[in-house]
This record gives sequence, structure tokens and C-alpha cells, in this order.
Amino acid sequence: MAKTNRRDVLRYGAAGAVTAATAVIAGQELASADPPPGPGDKRNLPGGVKDLTNLLDPRDFDELFKGKKIRGLHNLRGRKELMINNRRLALTEIKTLFVPADGSPPYVGVGWISALNHYDPVEIDDSRNRDGLRKLAKKVVDILGDFELADAAAQDHAH
Amino acid sequence: MAVRKNITAITVAEGTAFINALRQFKTTSANGRNYNWYIDQHVLYFARTADDISHAHQSPSFFPWHREYLRLLELDLQTVSGNPNVFIPYWDWTGTAHPFSADFLGAITNGSVTSGNFSPSWGWSLYRSSIQTNFLQRRVGVNASRPTAATVNNVQSYQVYDQSPWDATVSNSYRNRSEILLHNRVHNYVGGHMATREAPNDPAFWLHHCNIDRLWWLWQNSNGPDTYQPRTGSTAGVVDNNETMRPFANGRTPSVVRDIGALGYSYQ
Repeated sequence: MAKTNRRDVLRYGAAGAVTAATAVIAGQELASADPPPGPGDKRNLPGGVKDLTNLLDPRDFDELFKGKKIRGLHNLRGRKELMINNRRLALTEIKTLFVPADGSPPYVGVGWISALNHYDPVEIDDSRNRDGLRKLAKKVVDILGDFELADAAAQDHAH
Repeated sequence: MAVRKNITAITVAEGTAFINALRQFKTTSANGRNYNWYIDQHVLYFARTADDISHAHQSPSFFPWHREYLRLLELDLQTVSGNPNVFIPYWDWTGTAHPFSADFLGAITNGSVTSGNFSPSWGWSLYRSSIQTNFLQRRVGVNASRPTAATVNNVQSYQVYDQSPWDATVSNSYRNRSEILLHNRVHNYVGGHMATREAPNDPAFWLHHCNIDRLWWLWQNSNGPDTYQPRTGSTAGVVDNNETMRPFANGRTPSVVRDIGALGYSYQ
């Protein structure tokens, strides 16, 4: 658990404007306890971030689903971040045609895919699909079954 | 001349020759490639590459790229097995017949393939899995249902091959309709590794794409064999009719793969 936390903190640190030294210190702090649920909990913050009060999005979540801890942040320095059992899943945004199964008219929207839901983009927004990131997390948990994300799933890629 | 047959029409010997060649190709190279090379290419060319072109997906070259990909695999399977009659069967998923049987792709469809064909003990290993496991994963029918014959007919009725902006958003496009409504859906229907970027870990990938290729060939028979778009020039971000599709050899363009007879195979 400690190792995972430190690596995750370093990943966040690489994405943002924090020094490596800060990230390591934050990682050591994080390593002391298993982060309890609650996206705003101080012990659960990405490296270098002291207070999420102004960063939290009301859609953020940190909860258990089918025995796995799923945690989604919608606007961490402008990015969406998803962790499953503290392992990062890289998300890719694609503009795509959606053809609803109920026969309603097709439309173009923004979908999010990952290495795991690679052919199944999920819409995430602030209105009709405000639960989208959680929906994506649950889809991925279902694909994972009894297993965890591999490191390959954390690598960003562009479409 | 390979004749690609429906999985419902192949003999046990033909099915066995196909899966044994796949297994052999996992550990033995042929023509400078091995099975995992194909997984590498799928992962690499799914994304927009350094040439800023989408070669394999969400672009007009979706059909010809996979046609060349399958043709190359079929050739390599023939080489590695020393059997020039090996062919990729196709899975018409609109019917109830499926390839998940004990004597073909393995009978486990609801989790880890821990025994039988395509299990580690049979001789199948995973490569670049985004799921931490040594077992091939399948969750058939959990996340999506199969496309119906009516959906296939509707998709096949689109007469415009593809058009600007040449991506996943095009509405009036045979290519995009097929890619989203048939291709994506069957990846999600099989689930597990088929839902992932490294989907060719599941041999069902080839049977699925063989059917997609067959449907494109049927579409070409109705709409013309030489109908790829965009035709000329250098349309930004996509492969034009006479532009090489990477990672294939120079000259492997959409134009040269349009006629499957010239490529040495047919559909039965």
C-alpha cells in the first residue's frame, strides 16, 4: 500500500508544478495510513496539494464498488483523474457519434475511453451525464473482475 | 488461395489448424514477425502516431488497415505452420453460433480462461495486458448485446464510404457506422480483453475482424470495389487512397488492398 501511494503521488507530482522533494515528503506522509474514503480528506490528497477546498468538484467521489476503491476527481489541475485501488487509469477524450439504443436520434458528444473501455466511450459532463466518471469506473471494475489494473493502463495516449 | 469460411462451416480439422498455428506463432517467428508484434501494432496504431495520422481506428483507413493486418497474419500463420491452407474463419455474430467451444477458442466465457484452449496450460500467454493477470479474460454478453441482423442491414445501407471530418463523429458514413455500431459493439459484447486496447490477446479478435472485412467486401460488391475516400491529395490526419498505411510495407495503400481476389483470398 505504501509503495503504491508514493508512486501515485509522484505521478501526480509529475503532472503538476511540485518539486520532487515535495512529492516525496507528501508520499511519506501518505504512506503512514490507508487513506479513508472521502475525496476531501487531507490524508488523501495528491502530492503538493494542501487543501482541496477550492479544487473539489461536487461530482468527485471516493467509494467502494464491488470490493474495489474507486476514486474520481473531475478537475485536478484541469484534468480528470481516476484511480482504482490506488492505481491510476489514464483517460482519453474523444469526440464521437453516439447512437442511442432506444432509437432516439444520434448525436455527437464527447466520450472518455481508457485502455480498458477502449471501444465504449462514456460521456462525462455537468448536466445529463454528471455521473459519467463514476459510470466509467464501474464499467472498468466489471472488466477487471478479480484483478487489478496493470501499469500499462496508466500510460496516457492520444487519439 | 485461402477461402475464408463461416465458423459454422469449418471442419474440426480446419479449426484446429487455425488455433494451433496461432499458438505456434506465439513462440516462433515467421517472416520477421511473431504474434506479439501484432499486439504491439494494434496498441501503437490505435493512437494517433507521430505522423499525426490515425491509421487503424476512428478514420477512413479503419477497413483497409485491418484488411492488410488480417492478410498479413493469415500469411504468417501459413508460413509458421507450413500449411498453406490455414485461413481465418469469420464469426457472423448476428446468429447464435459462437466460437467459444472446448475444441475451438475455449469454452470459458465468464471470467478467467484457466483451462482448455487459450489457457496458459494450453500454451497461450498474454502480452501488454492492462489487467494484472496471466489468464485471458472474457465476459460474453455482460456489458453489451450482439448486433442484430437488422442493425447490420441498416449499417450496410449507408452509401457514402466516409466523409469529412473523417473521424468518429461522421454521421453519414458507412465506415463510421460500421466501426461504432458493429465493430465496437462486438468488442464490448465479448468483454474482458476484447474490450481493451490490447484486444488481439483474444483470438476472437481475428474472427470478429474477419466478419467486419467480409461485410466491407459485401458492401464493395454493392457500391463499387474502388470507393475508398478520401481519394487524392493529402487530407490532414488521415490516409488517402494512395498513401501507405503504417506499419505496413511501402506501397500498402487503401487502393492496393481494395480487391480481396488480388490479395489471394475469398469469402465463402
